[in-house]
Amino acid sequence: MMTSNLSRRQWLASSAALVSVAALPVWAQARAKTGPAHIVIVGGGVGGATAAKYLKLFDPSVKVTVIEKNRTYIKPYGSSEVLNQHASMDDLNVSYDTLRTQYGVNFVFDTVIGFDPQARTISTAGRQKITYDRLIVSPGIQLLYGAYEGYSEQVANTAVPSGWIPGAQTALLAKQLQGMRQGGTFVIAAPPNPYRCPPGPYERPALMAEWFGKHNPSAKIIIVDPKDSFVTDETMMLGWNRLYKFNLPDDYVKKMQDKVEIKQHAAAGMLSWVRGKDGGRTLKIDAKKMTIETEAETIKADVINVIPPMKAGQIAMTLGLTDASGWCPVNRRNFASTLQPHVHVIGDASMADAMPKSGFSANNQAKVVARAILEELAGRAAPEPLWENTCYALAGKDYGLFVADVFKIVDGKIARINTKARYLPLDASPAQIKLGARYQQAWLRTFTQDCFA
Amino acid sequence: MNLYFDKTLNAFTRRALLATFAGGLALLSYAANESASKVPLAPTSHAQAATNPVAISGELMAHSCAACHGTLGRLGDESFMPLAGMPLRQFTTTMLDFREGKRPATLMGHVAQGFSDAEIRAMGEFFAAVNPIGSQP
Amino acid sequence: MNTAPLTSRLAALAAASLLAVWAPGASAAQPAPAAPQPASALHADHTPPADAKAWTPSTLRQTLASLPKGNATQGQKVHEQLFCVSCHGAKGVAPTQNWPHLAGQRAAYTAKMLLDYQSGLRAEGQRAALMHDIAVMMTPQQIADVSAFYALQAAPRDDGTPRPNPQKAPKDFDAAQLIRKGDPARLLTPCASCHGVAGQGGNREASALAGQNPLYFVRTLLDYQTGVRANDSAKGMSTFAKKLTRTEIEALATHYADLPMGKTSSAR
Repeated sequence: MMTSNLSRRQWLASSAALVSVAALPVWAQARAKTGPAHIVIVGGGVGGATAAKYLKLFDPSVKVTVIEKNRTYIKPYGSSEVLNQHASMDDLNVSYDTLRTQYGVNFVFDTVIGFDPQARTISTAGRQKITYDRLIVSPGIQLLYGAYEGYSEQVANTAVPSGWIPGAQTALLAKQLQGMRQGGTFVIAAPPNPYRCPPGPYERPALMAEWFGKHNPSAKIIIVDPKDSFVTDETMMLGWNRLYKFNLPDDYVKKMQDKVEIKQHAAAGMLSWVRGKDGGRTLKIDAKKMTIETEAETIKADVINVIPPMKAGQIAMTLGLTDASGWCPVNRRNFASTLQPHVHVIGDASMADAMPKSGFSANNQAKVVARAILEELAGRAAPEPLWENTCYALAGKDYGLFVADVFKIVDGKIARINTKARYLPLDASPAQIKLGARYQQAWLRTFTQDCFA
Repeated sequence: MNLYFDKTLNAFTRRALLATFAGGLALLSYAANESASKVPLAPTSHAQAATNPVAISGELMAHSCAACHGTLGRLGDESFMPLAGMPLRQFTTTMLDFREGKRPATLMGHVAQGFSDAEIRAMGEFFAAVNPIGSQP
Repeated sequence: MNTAPLTSRLAALAAASLLAVWAPGASAAQPAPAAPQPASALHADHTPPADAKAWTPSTLRQTLASLPKGNATQGQKVHEQLFCVSCHGAKGVAPTQNWPHLAGQRAAYTAKMLLDYQSGLRAEGQRAALMHDIAVMMTPQQIADVSAFYALQAAPRDDGTPRPNPQKAPKDFDAAQLIRKGDPARLLTPCASCHGVAGQGGNREASALAGQNPLYFVRTLLDYQTGVRANDSAKGMSTFAKKLTRTEIEALATHYADLPMGKTSSAR
């Protein structure tokens, strides 16, 4: 099998052909001052926390400081499960205590107001000025509420929640959905690309369809979408077809029916999906009248959940890390900003080619960057990076599906290298599907552990 | 904890040395690419070295598994397989069986498909050297 | 008597598993099954649900007798289709120390474990919760078949799991002593009286122990001690475990892990 091909001698021998050590660019070696290196991380979310933990794991002598505005982290992943009562808001809370006490990460609970990239100092609203050798910025996203006429953060906080950054809006949406009148209409407006958590805007209505099935069986759910497709669409909609009497659009039926039986339901269930080509793009929200106007029509609804377009978190803009697209361009090998020196940007805010914007991606990017920074500070080149993104999503409590990708740099860009398949197979067995749902729950726990504990 | 670092640094130093060769060349070539005009670089020995699997660090790859399989492959009361301390042959056989579809899986088949034999072995060597005692009975 | 609820529960579970997986709360034609507890009831704490009745020796014997005859060839299919392979290994030898080996295990014991997972009588934590979610998908025939399959697999001799190697405390009995002679002072009958001289199992559906994963062994006895695991017939194992010291448990774990087992592990 493989052992005969991979004897260590052969392995090492093939690498002897590599001739010389390249001189590293000066910027990769410079230090701000002597003593243990200090790496400051802006943002204590998945990316920032993982970077902090793994820096300390790789080298406990290095000093790591996380600047984060909230004292407790609220998990976005799994937050839709508050809506269907499968989790509580408390379940979303994660403490930073383990990072502090077990890994020795310093936390500064404050907001960043600016920095001096040449002097390598960063300033906070609480008047702290912190010197660093390297800066990692992992700010997540900001929601562009103003993209739709009549929508704003204020409207989102009070009447038409987004809940794409978890917190009070999640709780509000849960209350609205669970209290919706019998036979009411729930509209969810999916975002345009690129956005955080590709299957998320479709998992949310699926979970609600399951919940409404028990508690509000005459309810209606309408997904309005500027897009015509989404990551995991085939497997997600197959789940809807089986669980909620959803009829797939004709083009999907055509490409899928050879591989799997797709039922044609005479009386369609409560869930419908209005695609971009059918006028699903959102134009306007009227919070007073509780209507949402799309290209196709104006829909009156009892609960409206809008996931607006998004871009890099505001701090990335403040620090001059974004380009015209609103996202942060980075070097693919080590996610160093191409706009500012000594800064690395990871997570949703970064432009990572084929990698989706997800917690798993942020977690992987953080590890690659942590290693790259330590190697550079030691005057060595960073190892060739590799990333994964394996996201489970639910079409129902017992119906798990996923996307699973492995990424490497190919021709200077981050590309998927698992060319054969990335989704749950269409002919997956009931056992695989149920196990997938259980693994999704397990993953919520193990992932949180890996980032924060 | 110290014991873990000693062990892996030995394994890692070896790879870091190899990575330095390939990585340094790659870094140079990439930096050159970024600062040049949009014309792509012609393939050179530098570009080929960057994709040489020898340059890939087993440890760094292994950390991509942690989100499910636990930090350093250490896992207690959970549904996923702990990898810490797993004998090398078990790891490589399992990953190859996943990759070739011989072993039923939810998504491990897809994940395994992204790795070469050398990479699987490198990750397996990393996990084999991790003390699993961090996992609770 | 307790038999009626048990056998009707078996029948109900058989009916439930025949319902289409995609149709929760489906057709009115089927009789409403006694639904197994949802997973969340098991996660909350370690107490089994109210209707999961503890075994007595007679209820256990009758339930096992009412299972259909197991077919090992069919059992291998179950083992693959329900992904038992993922955790318990292709031949029933678990590839990591996280889970028990099933290879060579007595069919009656394996079947009992699956029934206990189904009912929630066995519910120690996340791993047990996953077993519950799989077990509720199984018909009595599948339970019998997969148990027959494992019984025929060669028991592990060296599974690679590190042994605990405890420091023997002054009052500890040797593992060999506990197994063969027990301890009259503590009212401990010899382990062998139920589990067999060679750890091959035997009396009253007691499990085979030879070659078992030592970490799993330790965890099991600790769980019996604390009551986290409480699916033992007539509280037999809980009573035992409470009288053992931690180091004795670890010594027993090592002893059994190292014990070779003959290929003639009996079917039930």
